[in-house]
Amino acid sequence: MAIDINTYNSDLKPTWCPGCGNFTIHMALKKALAELDITPSQTYIAFDIGCNGNGADKINTYAFKGLHGRAIPLAAGLHLANRKFTVIADLGDGACFHEGLDHLIHAIKSNYDITILIHNNQNFALTTGQATITTDEDKPMYGLPDSKPERSLEPSEIILSTNPSFYARAYSGDIQQLTELIKVGIQNKGCSIIEVMQLCPTYNEECTPQWFMQRIHKVDDSGRTLEEARKISTITNENINTGIIYRNTNLKTYYELLENRKDTQTELVDEVKQYDIQKLFEQFK
Amino acid sequence: MSLGRYCIKFGGESGQGINTLGILLSRAIKNLGYNIFAYREYPSLIKGGVASYQIDFSDQYIASSSETCNILAILDSEAVHEYLMSLNSRGIMLYDDKEVTFSPEEQQFINQNQIQTIYLDTTKIAVESGGTAIMANTVMIGFLWRLLGFNAELLLTEIKGTFESKGEEIINHNILCLNAGYNASEFKEEYSQKTYIPNPDESVKESKILTGNDAIALGAISAGARAYYGYPMTPATSIFKYLGNTYKETGILIKQAESEITAIQMAMGSMAMGTRALTATSGGGFDLMQETISCAGITETPLVVVLAQRIGAGTGVPTWTGSSDIHTAVKAGHGEFPKAVLCVSDLQSGYILTQQAFNIADIYQIPVIILTEKQIAESLFTIKTLPQPFPIQRSFGDGSDRYQLSQSGISPRWLPNFDKQPYLNNSDEHNQKGQSTEKMEEIKQMSDKRMQKIQTLLNVLPEPIIYGDSSANTVIVGCGNTKNPVLDAIRTGMKVAYLHYEYLYPTKTQTLTNLVATGKRIILVENNQTGELGKLLTEASGYQFQEKILKYNGQPLFLEDILNIQI
Repeated sequence: MAIDINTYNSDLKPTWCPGCGNFTIHMALKKALAELDITPSQTYIAFDIGCNGNGADKINTYAFKGLHGRAIPLAAGLHLANRKFTVIADLGDGACFHEGLDHLIHAIKSNYDITILIHNNQNFALTTGQATITTDEDKPMYGLPDSKPERSLEPSEIILSTNPSFYARAYSGDIQQLTELIKVGIQNKGCSIIEVMQLCPTYNEECTPQWFMQRIHKVDDSGRTLEEARKISTITNENINTGIIYRNTNLKTYYELLENRKDTQTELVDEVKQYDIQKLFEQFK
Repeated sequence: MSLGRYCIKFGGESGQGINTLGILLSRAIKNLGYNIFAYREYPSLIKGGVASYQIDFSDQYIASSSETCNILAILDSEAVHEYLMSLNSRGIMLYDDKEVTFSPEEQQFINQNQIQTIYLDTTKIAVESGGTAIMANTVMIGFLWRLLGFNAELLLTEIKGTFESKGEEIINHNILCLNAGYNASEFKEEYSQKTYIPNPDESVKESKILTGNDAIALGAISAGARAYYGYPMTPATSIFKYLGNTYKETGILIKQAESEITAIQMAMGSMAMGTRALTATSGGGFDLMQETISCAGITETPLVVVLAQRIGAGTGVPTWTGSSDIHTAVKAGHGEFPKAVLCVSDLQSGYILTQQAFNIADIYQIPVIILTEKQIAESLFTIKTLPQPFPIQRSFGDGSDRYQLSQSGISPRWLPNFDKQPYLNNSDEHNQKGQSTEKMEEIKQMSDKRMQKIQTLLNVLPEPIIYGDSSANTVIVGCGNTKNPVLDAIRTGMKVAYLHYEYLYPTKTQTLTNLVATGKRIILVENNQTGELGKLLTEASGYQFQEKILKYNGQPLFLEDILNIQI
């Protein structure tokens, strides 16, 4: 049976605000899976909590809507148990850079062969607009009438400082580019980070499609050094670069580094049976 | 009264090889044909502070520590004062610090109890024998071995085995020191302890010595756990050590995660995908895991967590024992959801209950917590063979809805597979299809479905076991390590029965209720401050314990704590 984007539809309609970037991110994700011929039953998505997570029951794949901030370690555990599945962690900027920042850094370091899709809408939207590290420094937010007192942090700086296997930035308004980037990310052997600049017409209303269109510039996948990647990934008032920012094809995946597993053909899910421990017991004295 | 057992304690400053030589001594004594039970006292630091290895041995199976010892062999002056008062009458204090002076109070204790103090210049003997000053500890155990009246050959064999990887020079120097200690001129025939020491049992020589954590690890391997995700925390860490050191033989994936939250999330992910994975921690780490336990509860994802208890809130007393997390385990996680809590007491139960935990987790699709405690986790027990393994049970079924309502509360679960219909595990409250819901009727329906699993599980769980003389007028009630000193006391002839809980939650109460109805004297014995098992049993049965013996100073329940109960 030929699969297309509709194959991934559940029987529920999305509940996002009109104009929300999640509609197009969701669509691009389904499109990427369809174009790669990865069926719903070959896909496992770990959804975080937030507006993105409300898409969990709107897509017909294996999925686990877990806890806030924890989509990445959940996805890693899913992946290690059965590497045949395409495993995606789907989370927002609040989950990724606040509640679960340690997980992002360690997942990149461990280089699990998973794809991390970050919905960066520059706020905690589901709890009605609190500040995140990507919220503008002078923007009044929920409970912060004079804006957040601290400075912002740049996701690209955090990600690139850890020398990732793959880092791309996309924009939710460009489905075609986003689809392509998700496809390359899924195909990349290693931990692939895709940061999506996401429209949030409700809590980030200043950043309209026009605002983004004036700033977004696509860059080529030109084999940059980390230094070059840092330079072009910096977001300024005038410019947001999208595309594949950085790739490191020399990194081995976590599994390939496991002395006792790297040459194993079976998956952990295939190996659950009774093991005779007599030999191990005999080693005790 | 002769208890048919003998006790030695080897102590000094932490970092003086107390643990290495303690294990060596334990193994050597076992290889003579004695059942040993050995426990460690040590501070939460790497160098300095008082540490000891206490070995109780007997011709019978024993699994508890004595409060008092027959011989103390002490390498550090601070430890001499720390431990002196824990000697039996006519005990021996062997020490190697010339500067030690006993206080008037200590001298009085020594005189009254006819304590023999022996000063041995271990460093001098070590150097003169051709070894190095650092091998003073080997001189000490050589002399200790002579006091025990045991053959030196056997200890030499153990020295060779223990230091095998360190090279010939180290082995030879240690042998010289051991012989020098054994043959030291300070020894006098009158010190010999031979008459007090039980006769060995030849058949015990074939036995093995394992820690409680070793048994849990073996149980996990046997049950087909294929991944271990952990973060270090005493006294759970040695499960990681054993599974890591055997990973080439077992093929188990070992991951040291960046936090306990990561460890349990990875375990939950791997279990959701369909393998079996284990994680283990202690109180503080367990607190971090609780949100995920709640998540496993509502998503009906199997999960197995070992909670190795130590005493105290906060960081508590990291290297000392207690059972003060029973309540935490039973009430773990926000919201209301079913779970099971099993409680390990020794090697056999560590091995079997770990296997049972995976079966219960898989069949009932619930989180299962395995409780152990430092006194079991890190102590050495003697065992001939492990029990027959428990067969693996997983209970998969096909269906269209992942959370389909059923009489038992158990919905069909099928492992993610390319040929099967996908589904959503949803930590939002959900309908039968797994879709998030805020419909009141569905919220109640799904809550009822899940909680029904507690009743379904309770129906098949065994009642607690009664040990000892069931006609006795006094019944002790406990779980975990309480069993070990109580059964050791019963073996010495104490006339009590003991009601032992292995399956703490959901809680069986019929046997307890029947006992209460007989009007017997019932005593709750626990290694915590508030009687946590007792509160759990009260909640389940309505019975209020009138008599409680609660110990919460960091020490285990000793044999004497039980023998001193007036019956």
